[in-house]
Amino acid sequence: MRTDANIPVRGWRDRVFSAAVFFFVSVFIVFVLGLILTDVFYVDKKAIVTVLTSRFILHALWMSIWTSFMTTFIALLFAVPMGYALSRFRFPGRILAEAVVDLPIVFPPLVAGLTLLVFFSQTAVGKWIQDGLGLEFVFQPKGIVLCQFVAAASFAIRSAKTAFDDVDRRYENVALTLGCTQWGSFRRISLPLARNGIIAGGILTWARAFGLFGPLMIFVGSFRGRTEVLSTTIFLEQSIGNLEVALAIALLLILVALIAVTAIRLVGGSALVKL
Amino acid sequence: MIRAEEIYFSIGTFELRRLSIDIAEGEYFILLGPPGSGKTIFLECLCGLKKIRSGRIIIDGCDVTALEPRRRGIGYVPQDYALFPHLSVERNITFGLRVHGYAEMNIIETADLLGIRHLLSRSVDGLSGGEKQRVALARALVLKPKILLLDEPVCALDEVTRQQVCAQLSDIQRRLGLTTVHVSHNLEEAFSVADRAAILHDGLLQQVGTLDELLRRPNSEFVARFMRCENLFCSEVIGRGARDSDSRVKLGGIELQISGRHSGKLMLMIRPEDLLVRPASRHNGKGENIIRATLVRWRDCGGYVRVELDEPIRLVAHMTHAEFADLHEKHHTDVVAELDLNNIHVLPQ
Repeated sequence: MRTDANIPVRGWRDRVFSAAVFFFVSVFIVFVLGLILTDVFYVDKKAIVTVLTSRFILHALWMSIWTSFMTTFIALLFAVPMGYALSRFRFPGRILAEAVVDLPIVFPPLVAGLTLLVFFSQTAVGKWIQDGLGLEFVFQPKGIVLCQFVAAASFAIRSAKTAFDDVDRRYENVALTLGCTQWGSFRRISLPLARNGIIAGGILTWARAFGLFGPLMIFVGSFRGRTEVLSTTIFLEQSIGNLEVALAIALLLILVALIAVTAIRLVGGSALVKL
Repeated sequence: MIRAEEIYFSIGTFELRRLSIDIAEGEYFILLGPPGSGKTIFLECLCGLKKIRSGRIIIDGCDVTALEPRRRGIGYVPQDYALFPHLSVERNITFGLRVHGYAEMNIIETADLLGIRHLLSRSVDGLSGGEKQRVALARALVLKPKILLLDEPVCALDEVTRQQVCAQLSDIQRRLGLTTVHVSHNLEEAFSVADRAAILHDGLLQQVGTLDELLRRPNSEFVARFMRCENLFCSEVIGRGARDSDSRVKLGGIELQISGRHSGKLMLMIRPEDLLVRPASRHNGKGENIIRATLVRWRDCGGYVRVELDEPIRLVAHMTHAEFADLHEKHHTDVVAELDLNNIHVLPQ
């Protein structure tokens, strides 16, 4: 914890610098809170009751929650070994592999939906997966998870790699001389030390998955009671003129996000500090 | 006990070139060299953390070149100790035991040996440098290795703690009969712990021997300078000495007698502590190997006084405080430096 004893003596130039820095912090926070408050004041009681009693909206809320957590779980399942491999091993094509990992962060999320749709509906392999294996993704709830995974997993992989990069390799080396195999040093040393960074990546992935909209509209559509999630519900409600209801759903989305991020922060310790 | 045969390793532009060393069982061996000479890399090769390109590593008669680090039976204490930051002191020390499935084994004996019993419940974050060093040592020793590798184990410690830790290392090594390889760039450290030493420079082994051999009989200019000898001179043999078995050489404007028959050009080394410096007024100036010189500079180095002489050649001598007081109080600048011809070492060409 930072205490007064740790603060150096400051002159007026330092105070001006601090004030300038905090000016930007204040502007951003006031702006975001202002936007949320605008929603709060715009929404009436009737819209809130509608949201809390509508079977379809509650289903969309449930779909948003479980698909985003499932996506985060699968993304972390990939992120931990991939992050370790990219951090620790030198192999031909590593630069290309890292570029591919970063690609979904750079391209517009809409592209993920479009690409998935083309892959599963137009290519032989995609058709075989859908028809031959019976794994249907297009316009199906399973497709929500797949779409979120493609758009968001890169955040988890990138964070895991950075977290493993930050683990001093000498710790692993000492563990090897103390009797560990490489798996043992990974499990006992690298993974616990990279834990916060991995959780931070999980939070970013979840946040991206939870709020994903464009690619879901393309790949799975927004079928009431089936593939509808909160972000697509907001769009549907707004498009038919129910602006109050759309805003009430938006507030619900913000509330769920706030609860989830706080809970993960409490469980993951200082994970969010790394974000 | 440890035999390194023609080890070759390269990383980037650095190469460890055909390094061969034999270290006996129970020996305290120190590997000296300036930073970047390859000392740490050599240790990492020994414990299997770096894969050598060619050569062999033999431990206790077994070729361990292809063995994983965990199968070599080596305790390793890296530079800066690398204590696991997410584990307590006790969990750090028991780490190896838990990996091997001996979690219930008592570590009190090892903790007592190193005087760290009171630290067991502490986090590693708040430990001092000396405490960290002892915890890292305990972590390596608790598995009862036959060989202990120490990478600059006291370089981060203050002078007093450094001396204490060196004494403790030496004591533990003797009590446990451990074969120890210690890496350092510090000569005082070497003299306080080691039986034998090797000097490494730019990935190449320069000389192996007892510390006295390295000090008195260096085989190269680099070793002589590393062993802090500043009196190195190029000279030329000009004839036989007073005895037929000696030679007469010319260096700068003076002539000296050296032991042994030599010819041609020679590189001579004179240890600063072997020069006897006296006021010129107290000497008749006659005899062999007497150099009249001028005292130009002096510095109190704590245990001795370093004096610089000039004209006709630049010489550095180490004097005791008592010897120097006599010279200094009377403001003598004209001095004579005497040296025994047996203390002039001829460096191999």
